[in-house]
Amino acid sequence: MDFGNFLAALTPLNLAVAMFGVVAGTLIGSIPGLTATMAVAVLVPISFSMAPETALILLGAIYTGAIYGGAYAAILLNTPGTPSAIATTFDGYPLAKRGKGDLAVAIACFSSVFGGLVGAFALLFLAPPLASVALAFGPVEYFWLSIFGLSLIASLSQGNLMMGLAGGALGMIMSTVGVAEISADIRLTFGSQTMISGFEVVGAMIGLYCIPVLIDMCSTGEKHLKITGDVAKMPILSAARITFNSKFNLIRSSIIGTLVGILPGAGGSVAGLVAYTEAKRTAKPHQRFGEGEPDGIIATESANNATVGGGFIPTLVLGIPGTPPDAVILGALMVQGVRTGPELFQSNGSIVYTFIYGLLIATVLMLPIGLIIGRYAYKSIVTIPKAVLVPTVGFMTIIGTYAIRNSISDVVVMLCLGVFGWLISKYGFSASPIVLGLILGPIAEQGFVQAWTIGAAVNNLPGMFFGRPLSQGIIAVTLISLILPWYLSRKKQIKADT
Amino acid sequence: MIDSSAKAVAAAPTDRGSRLGSILVASLLIIIGFITLYDATSYTDVDSKVFPQTSAIALILFSTLAIGKQIVQPTAVSGIELGSWWRRIVLVSSMLLACALMPYTGLLIACVLTFTLGLIASMHDKWTNRKAIVYFLSGLSIIVCFYLLFKFALHVPLP
Repeated sequence: MDFGNFLAALTPLNLAVAMFGVVAGTLIGSIPGLTATMAVAVLVPISFSMAPETALILLGAIYTGAIYGGAYAAILLNTPGTPSAIATTFDGYPLAKRGKGDLAVAIACFSSVFGGLVGAFALLFLAPPLASVALAFGPVEYFWLSIFGLSLIASLSQGNLMMGLAGGALGMIMSTVGVAEISADIRLTFGSQTMISGFEVVGAMIGLYCIPVLIDMCSTGEKHLKITGDVAKMPILSAARITFNSKFNLIRSSIIGTLVGILPGAGGSVAGLVAYTEAKRTAKPHQRFGEGEPDGIIATESANNATVGGGFIPTLVLGIPGTPPDAVILGALMVQGVRTGPELFQSNGSIVYTFIYGLLIATVLMLPIGLIIGRYAYKSIVTIPKAVLVPTVGFMTIIGTYAIRNSISDVVVMLCLGVFGWLISKYGFSASPIVLGLILGPIAEQGFVQAWTIGAAVNNLPGMFFGRPLSQGIIAVTLISLILPWYLSRKKQIKADT
Repeated sequence: MIDSSAKAVAAAPTDRGSRLGSILVASLLIIIGFITLYDATSYTDVDSKVFPQTSAIALILFSTLAIGKQIVQPTAVSGIELGSWWRRIVLVSSMLLACALMPYTGLLIACVLTFTLGLIASMHDKWTNRKAIVYFLSGLSIIVCFYLLFKFALHVPLP
């Protein structure tokens, strides 16, 4: 790590590549159905002819841009552009419905940049020690982490906990459809070839979040989003003030994002959900999460962008991809002849440090680029006539879902889930617990079955599930998350009664 | 801070139709739970059974409790508000139609047809010739641009 590497990252080519990567990533990430993984995978061939550090800067910039771009559709259309932006819909869309979509987009931009910088600095200064955290996580810790994520259902249920828990259980059942990963049994397909590969998470998410909005939008003549200010001006200063006034939330969520990013397989969606849970758990009495609370956007967006730097830590230090896009980047590194591993920081130090500085620069560039693209995205969504917007978004859901696995069946499943999601949302059941179950179900199942098998083999199941210090820590945090809000409200009620 | 009107809405008994709707949805979830339990009996490996069975039991339990709560202490649910049914049906049907047509006509033609039907379903203002032409052409250009982007830039093998 020296100043020369920083200057190497500042060459005109590297700056141009970083800028292109952020723009391309943001645009691709903003389209529902096109994930950060797809953005990196689609553009990876461009990097083959580049020097390794330039190639890495390009891929890192695409990745970070795509994670941020997912917030646009989440905020303006209630459809997470990428799975990382799921929790952004919880408060982003309600805030946009209140006429503050531009503010929400700007807050998302500031938070994403801050989170991205925290993740990149962790990669710069703490990569080797943090990589050991990833190794300390066994199957049982993944199981408990997913249970911690599922505890968010309690706060997403909005007044009807039972309906929320039922939705979460339904999502977990949906996650089991298809071929079982561990034992290869075919589950819940009822002879259908289509369902053998199970529910496609992104397609299901598009259906459950976006189709209900389209159905509601077309049925009445009301405007899609209110406009309270001048659409040509972004409330940049207000957004910066709101974001940086929430310092503790911002820092905590960025650290959560970095740590979750380090864990292989967890990714931005889990980071966003965990950070959102924590933000909601520690909310002040006047904050109303789920109804357009800026802290909800800040938590999710800072956490999901922090997973970019965090995810690179095990990828570069251990050769284990932290997140799915990291797996694609790892493949690109192999093509470049760069061998990842503990010695990488010594043997190829100049490549690694130039890349990390490049990632930092790309993240900083995301601020102006993100605000400019965000302004146009907001302006387009609020000014396009609803008659054009609804079928256009409908078309994008079709092409986006199709593109994931080149499957028309996925589009049909997406539409059916959309109608189902719309119907149940009218009767008190929310789509969010279902999506949560669908995402966390496979992590929970795999962790549970592996831990059970190991525990049974060593004849110590209780010790396996409850005896490891890391597991105990996660269980304790989960219990606190569940019990503390109830305890505080009860205490407040008793105080009010007396 | 919850305002008094919101409190009133939360406390007010829901109308019978919406409450019945909630109970029906919860009953449907219970049926899904039992189907999952039945399906799990055919799995050969215990590792495949444990998670779906646990989830199914949780689904049945929580859905039953949700029904009980809705009967004893009903919570406010919106139900299906006013709005045009034909528009909803045309929109969803047009998207399903695109799926049916795609293998025969290709994605482009199928989606142009879907867009046209969606445009009709979502149009609440009075039609004029100018609006019809401008809206259709703008939609067409968006569809063609995205088609070209996916097919040639992103190399998605679109039908």
